[in-house]
This record gives sequence, C-alpha cells and structure tokens, in this order.
Amino acid sequence: MIRRLYVNNFRCLENFDLRLAGQPSVLLIGKNGSGETAVGLALEVLQRIARGTNRVDDLIQPKDFYLGRTDAPMRFEVELELRAKTYEYGIAFEFHKRSKELRVLEEKLLVGGQPVYTRAQAEVHLAKKVWEQEEEVGFDITWHLVALSIIQEQSPLDPLFTFKQWLARMLILRPIPALIRGDSSQDTLEPSLQVTDFGSWFSGLLASAPAAYGNINEHLKKVMPDLIDIKNPMIGKDSRNLVVQFANGEGSVSIPFEDLSDGEKCFMICAMVLAANHAYGPLLCFWDEPDNYLALDEVGHFVMALRKAFQLGGQFIATSHNPEAIRRFSDENTLVLYRHNHLEPTIIRPLSELQVSGDLINALIRGDVEP
Amino acid sequence: MKINRYQPHVFVLPKDDADRQLANGFLLDPFLLAHKIQVLVPGEGWMKVLECFKSDHVREMETCPHRLMVLLIDFDRDEDRLNRARAVIPDHLVDRVFVLGTWRNPEKLKASLGRPLEAIGMELAKDCREEAYTTWGHELLKHNASEIGRLRERVRPFLFQL
Repeated sequence: MIRRLYVNNFRCLENFDLRLAGQPSVLLIGKNGSGETAVGLALEVLQRIARGTNRVDDLIQPKDFYLGRTDAPMRFEVELELRAKTYEYGIAFEFHKRSKELRVLEEKLLVGGQPVYTRAQAEVHLAKKVWEQEEEVGFDITWHLVALSIIQEQSPLDPLFTFKQWLARMLILRPIPALIRGDSSQDTLEPSLQVTDFGSWFSGLLASAPAAYGNINEHLKKVMPDLIDIKNPMIGKDSRNLVVQFANGEGSVSIPFEDLSDGEKCFMICAMVLAANHAYGPLLCFWDEPDNYLALDEVGHFVMALRKAFQLGGQFIATSHNPEAIRRFSDENTLVLYRHNHLEPTIIRPLSELQVSGDLINALIRGDVEP
Repeated sequence: MKINRYQPHVFVLPKDDADRQLANGFLLDPFLLAHKIQVLVPGEGWMKVLECFKSDHVREMETCPHRLMVLLIDFDRDEDRLNRARAVIPDHLVDRVFVLGTWRNPEKLKASLGRPLEAIGMELAKDCREEAYTTWGHELLKHNASEIGRLRERVRPFLFQL
C-alpha cells in the first residue's frame, strides 16, 4: 500500500505530495487539466522502471519537465508498506545541458529504513550482508541507466525482488475497449495501460492461479447473469482467442471477446482486477475514470465492487468526473486536485479540509470546490 | 451488477451529502450483496426527500412489489418528524418504507463517535447483519429502534450473504 508519493518537476506536478497512508481506496477529482492523469503518469514511470525499462530516455523526455524547467532535477519518490515492511524508493533525473541528455542524478532504495543501495550520479553503493556484517560494495553505472532495473535480486525472498515485483505489477489502467481484443500469444501478469493485451493477462492469471477463474466468474455472473463460460481455446500453434458464452432458457450464444460492448469489456477488466488482487496481490490499482463506458445504473455498483475488494488488501485509486462515481466516495477518501492556470502547478487537498456548501456534485458543477 | 427490479431490493434516499456518506459505509460491508441495494441522489433537505418519495417513488413502488425504500433523513431533535414523514407514506406501502436517521445530524454523530461517516455506516451495516444494537444503540441513533427492527426483519434474508 502506498503511503506517500512525492513528485517534483514532472508535467504539472511540482512539489506534489500525495499522502495515502491507511487509505484502501481513494478518489482524485478536479477540473480538466488539474493533474489527475499526471499522477497516473508518474506512477507509470516507476512501473516502467520495475518492468525493466532502464534507459532514462525511454522513461522521460525533456518536455516532461514542469514548464520546461530543465535546470532543476525531476524527482519521484514512493514510500510503501508491504507485508509489514516499509520500502522507500527515490530517483532524481537531471538534464545535462552540454550533452543535452537526460541522466540519473540520485537514486536510492531503503527497506525498513536501511539502505539496499544508494546512488549519486554514476556511483552505486550496495549494502551487502557478508557473514552477518554489513559491507558496502560499490560499482559504477552509466548515468543514462536506472540502477533498480539492473541490480539483480539474490532470491525471491530478497526485499529488492518483492519491491520490484510489486511495482511492476501495479495495475495502471486507462482502457480503450474498442482496441481490446481477446487474442493472445503469450501470458502476462502485467497488463498494458490500455489493456489491449487483455487475452494475455487472462491467460497469465489463469496459468498462475487457475482458481482465479472462480473469482472472475462469480463477479461477472452478478453483472451478466446469463454468462455461462469464458473459453480461451487454442486457435493456432501458439495463440488463443477468448470466446464468451451466454445462455438462458431459450438458447445459448457464443460471442468473440472483441465483439462484446465497451461496457462489457470494462466488466471483464474489473473482474480481472478483483481476481488478480486476490490471486497475486496485494496490488495497487490506479484506474483513470473507471466509470467510462458504463450505464448510469452500473457506475455506483462498479466503483463499490472495486472499493470493497480493496478494503481487504491492496489499494485502489480512481479518478473521475462522473457524479455517480464521485458519490460513491466520501470526504475522507476524496482528494481534490486544482490548478489556477497552466503556468501554476497542481495543488492537492483532502475534500474533508475544504468548506463545501450543500451537495458536492452541485458544488462541483458550480465550480465552487477549490482548495 | 445493477438492481434486478423483479427480485427483492432496497433503494436508499439520503437527505444530504453526510447521509450519503453514511450510506456509502453501509455499502462497504463485506457481507452485503451490493446488487440488492442502490443509494440514490441526495435530496438536499428532509422535506425534499419526502417530496421526492411522493413524486418519483410511490408510483414505481406500486408497480414494483419487491422494492423496499429507506428514507434517510435527519431528525433535528424534532419528536414529531417520524410521524410527519410517515404521514406521506400511503397506507399500502407502509410496510415497505422505512424512515431512519440521526437524532440531530450525521456531523454530530461523527463528532460524538470520533470516526468518519463511512466507518460509522459500516458499523451500522454490521449491526444490521448481526442483529446487534452496538452503534444503533448510540444516543443519537437509538430512536430508530422500532424502524430498524422492522427493516432488519425484511432485508436480512436477501441483503446479506449470511
């Protein structure tokens, strides 16, 4: 569970401090352009590092510096708690004026307050236990590479492994249902942002935890009572294609996954999120506007299903402009993001600290919810 | 996961944003079957809740015999409010409509218990499920005893996974 995310000099986030300790689910609201999506992009930078992208140029661009301020470092820090241990990771990038290249200025990973490694520019200091004695081992690394992706964990019990795997498996979702197909030629537990690899994720989840099908089926039966089965047959040497079967007393029909409606595909994604959190969680799920594509009478139930599931473990962060979705959160778990204009950074305040008169939705419509 | 109008379900009509947050907590109960309950748009005032009930829900309830309705209002220390609210409920719907709320307002309850409204709502759901009066027995809630007894009898068989 993320306790704190700090971002500086990235997009519209300047000295941005997101405090989430003790919050299993949180809603980010704000006007268009106030920075909700930028929070997801910041998490995405960390996720891509953990998923193996190690070249700085592949993670950020000079245009990502807040207002083009390349003279100051861009900084990402995350503090999280996993199985009663705290993990603190931080990385700072700088733009080298002479070479006009982006590079790593500082980097560190601490577990339980103790450094696993620290880095200043090219020098990495690795804390290593040799015969129960803490020893420091140093090595140099090119400035253009991120150390976290390169340092090898010693075993799956190594806290470095735990941290990297958790970060890599964060679910940062911005689905575009029209692009989501059901075919797959490989398995993954790390779906893409737009979930265009849904078939691979489905295959990967069931390969690693076959019982997850029960969770998926249980959730989907509530939203689509005529659902009978989801099949994922081989359609070639190395590929599969999802087919969804529905039936009632009058007959049955099999529909290729890509022919489901946009909303139905979102139900499927929701079922996968719930099953994944159960099977290989606790996970962080950041879902940018989960209410998109849903019918009005589904929105509240959809959001609540996610909130309830993450009460039991993991963390759910949503952004929304939808009244029904917003109403399913409360003052203590709603954070308001605000920007005065495009030349000023995002401000964040808990809704509970703001004076909102009357109904929240009416206040949002009036534009009266401002930090 | 929408409501199936042909099966027993509950609509909650909250008086305002604070009551809505209490209801949110109720929805977060881990044993609650979410597709059996829907929290509707807040009414902005207890009179508005009653007006909305009369104008939008009476006719719908007549055509939908499986629907129960909870009017979640504040009593503002008004001893006659329950009777005034009951007066707008047609006789043939009395056994399916329930009037609940805090004796003063949810903010006072929140201050008294020192917990967010959602957390209190979760406790109220747990009480409902376990047939207890732990939180419902609070000074600002105990006046609901008869209504909550009636409601519990009706919803326990279908609203919770027991």
